[in-house]
Amino acid sequence: PPRPTPVSSTAIVQGLNLLQRARSITMAGKRKLSERPGGGSSDVQWCFSQVKGAMDDDVAEADIISTVEFNHTGELLATGDKGGRVVIFQQEPECKNQPQCRGEYNVYSTFQSHEPEFDYLKSLEIEEKINKIRWLPQKNAAQFLLSTNDKTIKLWKISERDKRPEGYNLKEEDGRYRDPNTVTTLRVPVLRPMDLMVEASPRRVFANAHTYHINSISVNSDHETYLSADDLRINLWHLEITDRSFNIVDIKPANMEELTEVITAAEFHPDQCNTFVYSSSKGTIRLCDMRASALCDQHTKMFEEPEDPNNRSFFSEIISSISDVKFSHSGRYMMTRDYLSVKIWDLNMETRPVETYQVHEYLRSKLCSLYENDCIFDKFECCWNGNDSVVMTGSYNNFFRMFDRDYRQDVTFEASRENSKPRSVLKPRKISTGGKRKKDEISVDSLDFNKKILHTAWHPLDNIIAVATTNNLYIFQDKLN
Amino acid sequence: MLGRGVKRKWSCLEELEAEELPNASLISPEEKKQDGEEDTGEQQSKSNMSHLQQRQLVLSLCLEKLQHYQAGMELSLRRSVLLINTLRQIQEEIRCDGSDVRLHSVNPDGCLLRDDFREDESVTCPGCAEGDRESPSLSPPLSPEMPFQEANISLDLQKSLPNTVSNTFSDAGNAMGYLSDLALDDIFEDIDTSMYETSDLPPAWGAGSLWPVSVSFWPDEDAKSRSSAGTLQSCLLDLNELDHIMEILVKS
Repeated sequence: PPRPTPVSSTAIVQGLNLLQRARSITMAGKRKLSERPGGGSSDVQWCFSQVKGAMDDDVAEADIISTVEFNHTGELLATGDKGGRVVIFQQEPECKNQPQCRGEYNVYSTFQSHEPEFDYLKSLEIEEKINKIRWLPQKNAAQFLLSTNDKTIKLWKISERDKRPEGYNLKEEDGRYRDPNTVTTLRVPVLRPMDLMVEASPRRVFANAHTYHINSISVNSDHETYLSADDLRINLWHLEITDRSFNIVDIKPANMEELTEVITAAEFHPDQCNTFVYSSSKGTIRLCDMRASALCDQHTKMFEEPEDPNNRSFFSEIISSISDVKFSHSGRYMMTRDYLSVKIWDLNMETRPVETYQVHEYLRSKLCSLYENDCIFDKFECCWNGNDSVVMTGSYNNFFRMFDRDYRQDVTFEASRENSKPRSVLKPRKISTGGKRKKDEISVDSLDFNKKILHTAWHPLDNIIAVATTNNLYIFQDKLN
Repeated sequence: MLGRGVKRKWSCLEELEAEELPNASLISPEEKKQDGEEDTGEQQSKSNMSHLQQRQLVLSLCLEKLQHYQAGMELSLRRSVLLINTLRQIQEEIRCDGSDVRLHSVNPDGCLLRDDFREDESVTCPGCAEGDRESPSLSPPLSPEMPFQEANISLDLQKSLPNTVSNTFSDAGNAMGYLSDLALDDIFEDIDTSMYETSDLPPAWGAGSLWPVSVSFWPDEDAKSRSSAGTLQSCLLDLNELDHIMEILVKS
């Protein structure tokens, strides 16, 4: 018989990963992932699950959540805050007795990712606020994530340690060094079990490549490279190489006084490692193919919807500025978020989006006030659910919205402590725009614009969502029968 | 007698939204064209704000936001770009409207005032005139027919917008640009500006700073009952007086 081919450890880990994913998908399938969430009398009801963060209303600035991201299996949920810290939550394994019961998310690791720095040349402080976190697909026992502030990207390794070596020859158990002269015998140290310890260590620091503020990072589907985008430039990095990066997009004009447009977000295509998109402050999205040229200033496709002349105002440009762009999991669509709406684009059609959802159209008549209090510059993110059938984004008054693409339904929920009884079903919220306000409706004038939900994330395989208010993280899940 | 510019606060904004200004009926149909699209059927009287009024409001807010900076913190480039684009859009609109009558009310004295202004424009202070020459790139020279306030704003815009733009976008420290602009105020510290309500207002003549629109435009509490035409007229006369005084000072 032929000798079996030796299997590499990478292949083993990948195989294990696949098994884990398959298991998750099966479990999720049992949880009716394909059923439509949200809206009216649908089968899926959203329930409160957990809330993380301080209870008091006095929000410490450092605790303001600035990014939320599930990893590729959904087992880990990472948050970044204004104080430069990363907190990772891990989902507990499901109870064996009740296979329908989902595990809770508990703190797995906390570490200080970035520290405030001072740029002496410009006499300016560099904020430690974490702008984005992106997980790397798992390759071995450890987890890796990229976290970035305005200027520096760091690759963090999060690993578990549950054994420790004992029986050193030159060290005592407490760590003190022994006098070599006292060593009479030699022994081999052994590994003994210990309490689980989760360690985070910075493995790479990608610095000094951005003059302007980094707004996006995106890991490529080749799992070897990633991009980082600031206001005017996009750089391509190799995860192993920190001392150089390739500039692939540069929109800085020769004369800065001619600057009229900045890059607001960028993302790699989920499957095509040569394709990425970036959005602008003028409401355009450019798709670039890295095979076309080294510098992708010439876009392959440009997505832009002509402006509705009826809605033209002084604020038209500001509200058209795209704050987030996300590819669908399938890679066929992409979603953009501007101030008032969410748009779904088919990558094959550049002239207009295929779907447009109004997030809070009642704010259109309030744009002047929102301009004055700066809310018009808020940058909302958006996200897809696991099978691309529902999209979600945040709004004001701690509201967040879900749009079901298949059933053309939308729903508004509120993330608040009042609705925080365990497993209590979320009640859809309604905003009254007309003169008459019905019972349970909230009038536009009583909305709290300081309570904004900018960051939301959807579990890749299940109906679990993470919604960040200013300093609290809410976890909601669909009700299981 | 001088125009008491009120630093516009949130409450003022609400008052403006809530009340219907007495001269609304005198606004020409062209100016009212934007009202329809804003009217959502609500009780909100924001929709009654004419296009011109909103433009002035947005303009003053824009300047205010561009002036404001947080010491030691880098300004958001995206925000600055959006603000400056809005500013340019408004400036372009003002320029295009240059030949229209743009007073708040159709005032028979308006023509007289404009004639006065034309005379006055020839004696603008050296600083302003220099500014015009220095920065031709952003917009063409203003026509003398433009109303006094808007022309003055635009002159200052022309002068300071390149500075603002280049300072905002300079790599060497966008925040510091505003600081260097405002430092010129120190030179004019001894000029008595107590007659102006707002502390933001720098001595405009010869200074490189931006002139807040609020000084010339917003009627304060007392003037609410007056027609804005009257306020406007008194503003213009007062400022003409000031101009005259400056002239004398400069010559001596």
